[in-house]
Amino acid sequence: MLAFISRSIIQKIITLFFVSVVSFLIIHLAPGKPSQVDPLNPKFTPEVVERFRKEFHLDKPLHVQYLYFYRDLFTGQTVSWKDNQSVLNKIWERFLNSLPLFIVGTILTWTLSFPIGIRSAIFRGHIYDRSTTFFSYLMISIPGFFFAYILIIFVVTRFHVPVIGMETFGLGDAPIPHVLMDRIWHLLLPSILGATGGIAVLSRYVRSQMLEVEGQEYIRTAKAKGLPPELVHYKHALRNALLPFVTMFGLILPGLIGGSVIIESIFSWPGMGRMAYEAILARDYPVILTVNFVSAVLVLVGTFISDILYLVVDPRIRL
Amino acid sequence: MNLEKKTSQPDFQLERPMAPKSSQIKEFWLVFSNNRLAIGGMIIFILFFCSALLGLFLTSGPDPIFDPAQIRLQEKLRPPLAKANLDTLRPEEVPRMGIYFFGTDDLGRDVFARMLQGAWVSLTVGFVAVGIAILIGIFMGGIAGYFGQHYLGAVSIDTLIMRIVDIMLCFPSFFLILTVVALLPASIYNIMIVIGLTSWMGTTRFVRAEFLSLREQDFVVAARALGVNNFRIIFRHMMPNAIAPVLVSATIGIATAILTEAGLSFLGFGVPPPHATWGNILSDGKRFIFDAPWLTFIPGIAILIVVLSFNLFGEGLRDSLNPKLRQRR
Amino acid sequence: MTVRRVLILVPTLLLLILLQSYFWVPTYEQQTRGNPNRLNEYIAGSIGDAGLLNPILSADSASSDIESMVFEGLIDRDEELRFRGRLVTSWEIYEEAFFFINESAKIPGLGVSDPQTVVDFIKKAQKTETIDIPNLQDTLANIVSIQVLPPHEFSITRKVQDPKDKSENTTIEINVAAPAEIKLTLKHVDQNLFENLAQLLGKDYFNSFSGTKYLSFHPQVETKKMDTYAREIIPATKHNPILLFHLRPNVKFHDGHVFDAYDVKFTYESIINPKNLSPRIADYEPVKDVEVLDPQTVKIVYKRLYSPAIGTWSIGILPEHLLNSLALKKEAHHHGVDAGTFTMRQSSFNRNPIGCGPFKFNQWKSDQYIALDRFDDYWEGPPNYNRYVYRIIPDLLTQEMEFYAGTIDSYNVQPHQVGRLSTDPRFQNFSGTSFGYTYIGYNMRREPFDDIRIRKALSMAIDVDKIIDYVLYGQGERITGPFIKQTDYYNHNIQPIAYDPKGALKLLAKAGWNRNRAGWLEKNGKKFQFTLITNSGNDLRKAILAVAQDAWKKIGIDVRTDLLEWSVFIQERVDKADFDALILGWQMGIEPDLFQIWHSSQTNPYQLNFVGFKNEEADDLIVKIRQEYNHDKQVRYCHQLHEIIAGQQPYTFLYVGKWTSILDKRIVIKEIDSNGHLYYQKIKPTLTGSYSFHFNKWIKLPEAPHFMDEG
Repeated sequence: MLAFISRSIIQKIITLFFVSVVSFLIIHLAPGKPSQVDPLNPKFTPEVVERFRKEFHLDKPLHVQYLYFYRDLFTGQTVSWKDNQSVLNKIWERFLNSLPLFIVGTILTWTLSFPIGIRSAIFRGHIYDRSTTFFSYLMISIPGFFFAYILIIFVVTRFHVPVIGMETFGLGDAPIPHVLMDRIWHLLLPSILGATGGIAVLSRYVRSQMLEVEGQEYIRTAKAKGLPPELVHYKHALRNALLPFVTMFGLILPGLIGGSVIIESIFSWPGMGRMAYEAILARDYPVILTVNFVSAVLVLVGTFISDILYLVVDPRIRL
Repeated sequence: MNLEKKTSQPDFQLERPMAPKSSQIKEFWLVFSNNRLAIGGMIIFILFFCSALLGLFLTSGPDPIFDPAQIRLQEKLRPPLAKANLDTLRPEEVPRMGIYFFGTDDLGRDVFARMLQGAWVSLTVGFVAVGIAILIGIFMGGIAGYFGQHYLGAVSIDTLIMRIVDIMLCFPSFFLILTVVALLPASIYNIMIVIGLTSWMGTTRFVRAEFLSLREQDFVVAARALGVNNFRIIFRHMMPNAIAPVLVSATIGIATAILTEAGLSFLGFGVPPPHATWGNILSDGKRFIFDAPWLTFIPGIAILIVVLSFNLFGEGLRDSLNPKLRQRR
Repeated sequence: MTVRRVLILVPTLLLLILLQSYFWVPTYEQQTRGNPNRLNEYIAGSIGDAGLLNPILSADSASSDIESMVFEGLIDRDEELRFRGRLVTSWEIYEEAFFFINESAKIPGLGVSDPQTVVDFIKKAQKTETIDIPNLQDTLANIVSIQVLPPHEFSITRKVQDPKDKSENTTIEINVAAPAEIKLTLKHVDQNLFENLAQLLGKDYFNSFSGTKYLSFHPQVETKKMDTYAREIIPATKHNPILLFHLRPNVKFHDGHVFDAYDVKFTYESIINPKNLSPRIADYEPVKDVEVLDPQTVKIVYKRLYSPAIGTWSIGILPEHLLNSLALKKEAHHHGVDAGTFTMRQSSFNRNPIGCGPFKFNQWKSDQYIALDRFDDYWEGPPNYNRYVYRIIPDLLTQEMEFYAGTIDSYNVQPHQVGRLSTDPRFQNFSGTSFGYTYIGYNMRREPFDDIRIRKALSMAIDVDKIIDYVLYGQGERITGPFIKQTDYYNHNIQPIAYDPKGALKLLAKAGWNRNRAGWLEKNGKKFQFTLITNSGNDLRKAILAVAQDAWKKIGIDVRTDLLEWSVFIQERVDKADFDALILGWQMGIEPDLFQIWHSSQTNPYQLNFVGFKNEEADDLIVKIRQEYNHDKQVRYCHQLHEIIAGQQPYTFLYVGKWTSILDKRIVIKEIDSNGHLYYQKIKPTLTGSYSFHFNKWIKLPEAPHFMDEG
């Protein structure tokens, strides 16, 4: 057990090292050579290049530049070029803003998907199954920003309520329950938007996993025994179908960054995704690099968690 | 000499022992045609393909039948099916049949013509990006699955490739694409290549898994025993058997690529003008959502329908090609 | 089965909690829900963030929006664009004029005279009412006092760049033995003073004065240069207009410090201090001196006649006690930076400004908002709103949605939305014309644009109303000349040139251009063809380009068009006057000073009269306008100038754009009348269209009120 964990950690660290190298190289790929001004790109002014040259120690060989950057990162000295604030503080602040969205979205996804998926597995081929299938695909296929705009336009023109941002502007002096409820209201649209896609995907998975399991002998036995069907589905079948979801659960962590760029920028939500996008717009290299690095860490932590969970859940695996 | 003669025969037979081709397709069709959603998806898929081709033909050339670039500032933000105002237009500016089928945008360009042109561009982006991803995926997966046990120094090829896959999976894909596209000069090729380069990992895993199991199967073992060269084994014997899941993921991959391109366009990093794509028609039009909702809804719904059809088609393919599910039907 | 129940119950509950929060959130209709104070704050939206909140350093519109709330100028303009006092209670404009005694000129009836004789002569003339030259009579009546300044000596040094070696500077020492001078103090500024006095003292009395003989140079310089120096150092005549401001007593800065004359002087000194790199330095170049007579009185002396200078005193006054060199030194020390390089630009004042305006600065969150609070000690009485918040929302669509949701109080409607939003009963809307216009300019140095008939014909061939209707969605007005349409400088008697392609062809035929068989205009076998250019990136101009090209094609002119990138357009074509015709626009101030754009001395490369307009009459008027301090006279000159320019058609004047804003209907003007009764009034725009003129009296009511005149 311990051996497995330590081996896994070492492996993850090695991967992380390579990720950091690759993301460093990606930054250096722009544009052509970082030391040159790209005439095609209006954002690449000589000042940016000069700053780049200075802060990344471009006169030194590449591996030394790499070491400089990550030394600064780990000692918390990296600062954003845009406002000279510490990058780690900035990320932490934005992370806290993204967290409620993420939590609500995740709860909705990881609860609703199961009843929906299981039901459509039970009634395979029936009208319920067909309509949820179609609906799930509709949700998977709809461009997120398009859906977001439809919702926003609907809510704004119908109810005249503010939906943009994390809270209603100018509500500063209101009593606490109002402020709290206001925040909750602003969570509604973006988290539903985030959850719909997730529910669509996950319920499809649940459905196919359940189909795999329901054909097994022991389910047939359980049914033949005369157990109530709900018990059969939710206890006997679900337990055995659950295993692959353990892996998936570990992988939702990185969704904190990548999945939210578009929704956060539509809703002007000051979260991680929006910060990443703004950093790209402003050519804020330290932030871009750090976000990349942090998200890689999240992925690795996620896979690590799912490895451990697997170990705990699946009695067949004993290392 | 004698031996050689014989080897050619088993080789010839090796392709045959599987179920006869015609019946395989027939069986597939039997299952597939049962899935009405998938059939619908396929029909739209084909329609989209045709209209993209037609669009390419109708909107390109020096004097296109539908000119997507014609700017008529006197005719801004006209609603769909509006008649062109003939007094203010020069003869060469008048749209076909005097009607803006999908209205005009803020520069008075015919949205119908732009959608036609965009269909082709979106399709190209989808196909080329997925093509790149599939090629890399098959190559890497094939090597990992077939030559996996060979060692390069301390690590096996399989481990090496799978670690590369792990590393690539560590990047949040959309953010990675966004970063790279933003850093590189804006061009349609960069977008296709970047989407392709960041989405090959799934295919690699599929192909590797298939190859690992195929490699142990009798016909491959036999072929190897007979001294057929690796290249031939991979491409002639194993690939046809591993291609089904790849096709499925390619179909769905195209849908994803179209969505990704639209998302990039939305954020302002998409295919640069003069190419119209559905994504940038939508993102240009969103400013006018209260005044000219068709500029948002037409491309939005078009993307939705096409992506949906690809997804349903892909899903139908998967269902029909999956022997396990097939049996139980 | 518990698992299933949990899986369904949890998300349902969560969704319910999310949905019920709707009932707690303020909506457009119920903006006070949970937050009654919402009525006491005004939220404005802006696309961009402010730069520096310092009126003398900033140049962007977001900063000046905030500065107009936080800072107060000495004067500003009232509803009818006349000056009105803010930090000053009253002001006087008079003049001190000087001339040197011309020791060689003979005065008619006196001969060569010494200073005192001249003074007596003028004084005598003043008393003689029988002088029958009317202008001279007025001029003499305007003179309040006459004084003799005895001859005096002084020396100055000048650094001159060596023409051969640019890095070398030679220093020239000039000793001046100035002759006696006569100082005239005038009641009003009189630009014709010396012209009229010359009728009394002899035609050449001022012209023939040469100062060269009073100068001695060390080392010697060429005679030609000597004359230049002489004209500069001891000019024959001098106009020194003077602005005397009587400051409002007991006005306080937001920190409680009392405002006085030293703050005015300090503000001026900060602007002209080259270290501060103030973008407004050019406006204050004509100032000779700012003198503090007492803490309530400032005297501003100008080097020359320059009437637009008065308007510059609307600049926000800085608090001296927070920004003087001592305070800056302290701040530099506090930040641990070198005090020598630390200027006002680096000061934290620019992010925490303190002025004496109606609102005091509270908070600035970059790229989010700037919040201002009511200043209770505001000299005019505090504004009704408690708070003014300036929100930064770069996306116009978001701004629009925030307006619909009631979290922004006003929205600047885009032209294509005017039709829909200006009729919406939920909002009150205001519109007006902007300060600027769009035109097609012709290069008058080139054939055939040097012919007035051609320019007129070109203007007649363009249907401007069509441009306004189709390109601007009707959001524009025709314009006939170079002045701002809302001001009285604009001559409304001049009719715009009507759309008349046939008339245009007749004019062209008179000028020798006739249509050939293919329909193109021809003269001496040469086709009428030219290139019309404008900058890329401006959709409106691009549209006009197409419309104009088409219109001229219809009368047989072969027009090519070209869109150029802005810097290329300006540097390569406009600055070098390398174009046939172009489409451009001017943004204008209220002052009617047209010197840079229309004076014939400004036609060189890199100057703004790039169309090459030269007209002696116009030149004369332009100079007169900028030297005239009397409003009525100025207006008269402007009307004449307008007529000349409209007649010459160096531009085809197209249109001035219109803006529209919508405002929450619940915002009204709240006032207390003389009996102490509170009453509400609908917001009415001023004559110039400015609806926010009475902003300090605005307040938001819980319900939209009904006014009698609304019907």
